[in-house]
Amino acid sequence: MFLHQRRARLATASTAVAVFALTAACSGGSGGEENTSGEPGGSITVLTWRTDLVEDGTFDDYVEQFTTKYPAVTEVKVEGITDYEGEVKTRMSTDAYGDVLAIPGSVTPDQLGDFFEPLGDLAELEKEYRWLNDKSFEGTSYGIPVVGNVQGLVYNTKVWEAAGLTDFPTTPEEFLEDLAALKAADPGIDPLYTNYKDGWPLTAWEYYRGGVSGDPDYVNEMVTWDDPWADGRDHEVIDGLLYDVVAQKLTEADPTTTNWEQSKQLLGTGKIGVMLLGSWAIPQMQQAAVDAGGSAEDIGYMPFPAQANGTFHATAGGDYNLGINVSSKNKVTARAWIDWFNHESGYSESQVGLSPLIDGATPAALADFVDQVELVQMNPAPEGKESLFADVDTASGIVTTDPKFRQKIIDDARSGARTKQQVFDDLNEAWAKGRADVGA
Amino acid sequence: MTRALAATGKYVSLTLASVVMLLPLVLIVFGSLKTGQEFLATNPFAPPESWTNVSNYATAFTRGGMLRGFANTVVIFVAAISGTILIGAATAYALDRFRFRGRSAVLGLFLLATLVPGVTTQVATFQIVNGLGLYNSRWALILLFMGTDIISIYIFLQFVRAIPRSLDEAATIEGAGHLRIFFQIILPNLKPAIATVVIIKGIGIYNEFFLPFLYLPDPDLRPISTALFAFKGPFGSQWEVISAGVVITIVPILVLFLFLQRYIYNGFTSGATK
Amino acid sequence: MTTTTTGAPGPSPADADAPAARPSPSGPGRGGGWRQRAVPYLFLTVPVGLLLLLTYLPVANMFWYSVTDWDGLARSKEFVGLDNYVEIFTDPDNVRVFYVSLYYFLASFAQMAIALYFATILSFRVRLKNLWKGILFFPYLINGVAIGLIFLNFLKPGGGLDTVLLATGLDSLVRQWTGDPDIANVTLAAVSVWRYTGLNFVMFLGAIQSINSEIYEAAEIDGAGRWHEFWHIILPSIRPIVGLSFILAISGSLSVFEIPYVMTNGGNGTETFVIRTIWMAFNRNMVGLASAMAVVLLAIVLVVTWVQRRVVPEEEVDLT
Repeated sequence: MFLHQRRARLATASTAVAVFALTAACSGGSGGEENTSGEPGGSITVLTWRTDLVEDGTFDDYVEQFTTKYPAVTEVKVEGITDYEGEVKTRMSTDAYGDVLAIPGSVTPDQLGDFFEPLGDLAELEKEYRWLNDKSFEGTSYGIPVVGNVQGLVYNTKVWEAAGLTDFPTTPEEFLEDLAALKAADPGIDPLYTNYKDGWPLTAWEYYRGGVSGDPDYVNEMVTWDDPWADGRDHEVIDGLLYDVVAQKLTEADPTTTNWEQSKQLLGTGKIGVMLLGSWAIPQMQQAAVDAGGSAEDIGYMPFPAQANGTFHATAGGDYNLGINVSSKNKVTARAWIDWFNHESGYSESQVGLSPLIDGATPAALADFVDQVELVQMNPAPEGKESLFADVDTASGIVTTDPKFRQKIIDDARSGARTKQQVFDDLNEAWAKGRADVGA
Repeated sequence: MTRALAATGKYVSLTLASVVMLLPLVLIVFGSLKTGQEFLATNPFAPPESWTNVSNYATAFTRGGMLRGFANTVVIFVAAISGTILIGAATAYALDRFRFRGRSAVLGLFLLATLVPGVTTQVATFQIVNGLGLYNSRWALILLFMGTDIISIYIFLQFVRAIPRSLDEAATIEGAGHLRIFFQIILPNLKPAIATVVIIKGIGIYNEFFLPFLYLPDPDLRPISTALFAFKGPFGSQWEVISAGVVITIVPILVLFLFLQRYIYNGFTSGATK
Repeated sequence: MTTTTTGAPGPSPADADAPAARPSPSGPGRGGGWRQRAVPYLFLTVPVGLLLLLTYLPVANMFWYSVTDWDGLARSKEFVGLDNYVEIFTDPDNVRVFYVSLYYFLASFAQMAIALYFATILSFRVRLKNLWKGILFFPYLINGVAIGLIFLNFLKPGGGLDTVLLATGLDSLVRQWTGDPDIANVTLAAVSVWRYTGLNFVMFLGAIQSINSEIYEAAEIDGAGRWHEFWHIILPSIRPIVGLSFILAISGSLSVFEIPYVMTNGGNGTETFVIRTIWMAFNRNMVGLASAMAVVLLAIVLVVTWVQRRVVPEEEVDLT
């Protein structure tokens, strides 16, 4: 009887151990100890979209400088993420999205407070930084841009000169003619490269809105229209150009085999004529040109081919904004990283961008562009309507920050499954439905 | 005449199939030994200029984190496989050796679960794993690998049945309890089943991409398949390095296959024919 | 996707249902008692707990989420009735993923046919039998990501396949293998065939080889030809395995992920169920809608399995 009891107890104990092991495992999810000292120290995790800078050691230098300044900081773990928007969005369903991260474009303004730590009063921070509006909500800022961008087109100057093209095209039609001329001059090149497969480069197309018309209130007005893809409006011009350029076979022949890293190399070596990307792309393309034995001069930057009142316009705004995970255990160090990154890392200079600091200088590489183009700063949404655009955008199912609908435009332009007008009609219909659902 | 023709046809079809199976692999091996310039400039069929150019492999190991990937895979594999064996054997032991209230209900639960493909529940499972605080932890994978493996439980059920009850009874008479019977009689006699499960599941874990992709984004914790997938980002323009990464993931499984051929075939057929 | 689809199918659990006629090991002389009765439950605590936690709870939650508008983040969910289901069938992009899985489903028939052909050939006397067997089977052991990358390299414009076609004078067959929307899914399904044929082949071969050799000898005495042997001996004996492969083909074709994800990222009309639901649930925060998709998928799997059982009743292999 005694023996028997012991055995039963053993069995219970072993089960208990197994169950305990499982539950103990459960608490092992999030690492790192809480830093409550008020001074930067301990360890933080930084999520970045710049896998190339993680790969080439630039971030190692940053970390070294940062830890030299703050010796109490034991570790800065940098995670480079290739599919940044997609993966970070998944991770935001949990608490594990690092301490410092760039706020994904698809986070709506009213969600900011749920995911990100307030960085300060908007009015206060605006004395120091530019382009805070995007990631602010009801007077509080949640993210500071790492660098400022202007939205234009990055092109290979040699290729364009070889085709005898020296002036910036002023209309989409002229642009298409120019691309055809590039193709005629060298049939081996892709005049324009969409980077279809990686997807995210296509989101850059969105930020010509407001630049085409030169209207700083474009986005605020867009929520009052049922048909942003109607004749002559910015979206019609932008996506019409996308459709046409693909339909006229002026883009890469097989979009499913594109690759971002490779596209840099191809543009640098003159196998690609032009790509539609923010000014942040310039230094990467210059680097690729230099690596391939060319020079930084081979890379130029032109405005979107449309003029309003005889002038080019380009929107200027923040690149990714750095924010702090609201459930971070080391917010002090996270904040120190953001401040250090903006003031001392030299990142924005190295990226040939506009400095996010109010008193920052315009880099030489953009001086030419800025001379010919009037920069447009988009106006913030009127009070009480900060999240209206995002709400309509989401309800419409289009989601302008998601490359998917532009990938679909490319699919349709290649296969002819929908005409350009059908594409616009569908988009307008979805947008109108989104407005109706939200009650805008 | 027709016999000779049939024999020729047989070998022609086998050769053709072998070419289809091997050609893509051979080209990847060629590519992995080329320099970046060479990869772009030469025909994919052109053999590498130098067969000893292992610089891409060095890059894949040092900058691509393949070594860490292997280590992580091994850790996950060992933990998950031990758990699977204990769980599978315990279930089989309880279901086969005992008659108790609710037995058929338990059996029914396991059987019904085979009809639910794992992918259908992924979104809901994600919420549970996250609710347990296991997101971005190796434990998420270990738990999922051992907790959703009904196949292994079946294999163990098969083999437990074949263990003579007289062994249990003799041990009982000698005063052994159920735990001792389980660990000293049942488990040792399940060696063939354990071998089968280790092989089938081991290959499954080594090749699993979806679970680590979804649950384990931390680069330090990445197993081999997501470590390889990450090559697509920074090495996107360096196909010679990607090729080396691919070869690195294939070599261990090839070596195992060559040594354990018989067991591997048996593992996959015994599951099917028993 | 998860382990249930990665390995070989389980053995018939039919015998697990064996009648409870055998004596309990707690033989005579050892009093029962509640502790004794508790033993099997203790052994089953963890396995059944995990089963409930990781299979049944998700299924139940999935049904619940599918009638809500939950975004995966908010604490509250609002009941929306069948709205999500309506959304699935009114958005062609959602219906399309089921259509895409048909490519893989049909491809699995080609896969089974190829596997059966080689299994039959190799069950007779062949030189270098082990070599052929190894070559045909090995691709199944390769990591799915590696396979995706291997074929990206092989099928890219100017890659291995194009080079072969050009060298053999078949220039006219050169295509954008993943870029041409008409054939992109065919290409990806073909890669899937390359990957999985080995598994079918080894399973078929195992079944054929377990046929008693006396049956062949008897047939040969009767003067039966190879074709006759195949039709009357081999085919009937592997019918259970074919049925099993069929079920695996259904769930397999609905759970395709790695190959299209690595090779096309789901672009160009190659989006599969898994790619779309992941995107839907996490990028778009539509957990409710994604769950409704999963419910539809589960229903399809159950219906097809049931039909398959009705059409081809299995006596030898009984999965339930």
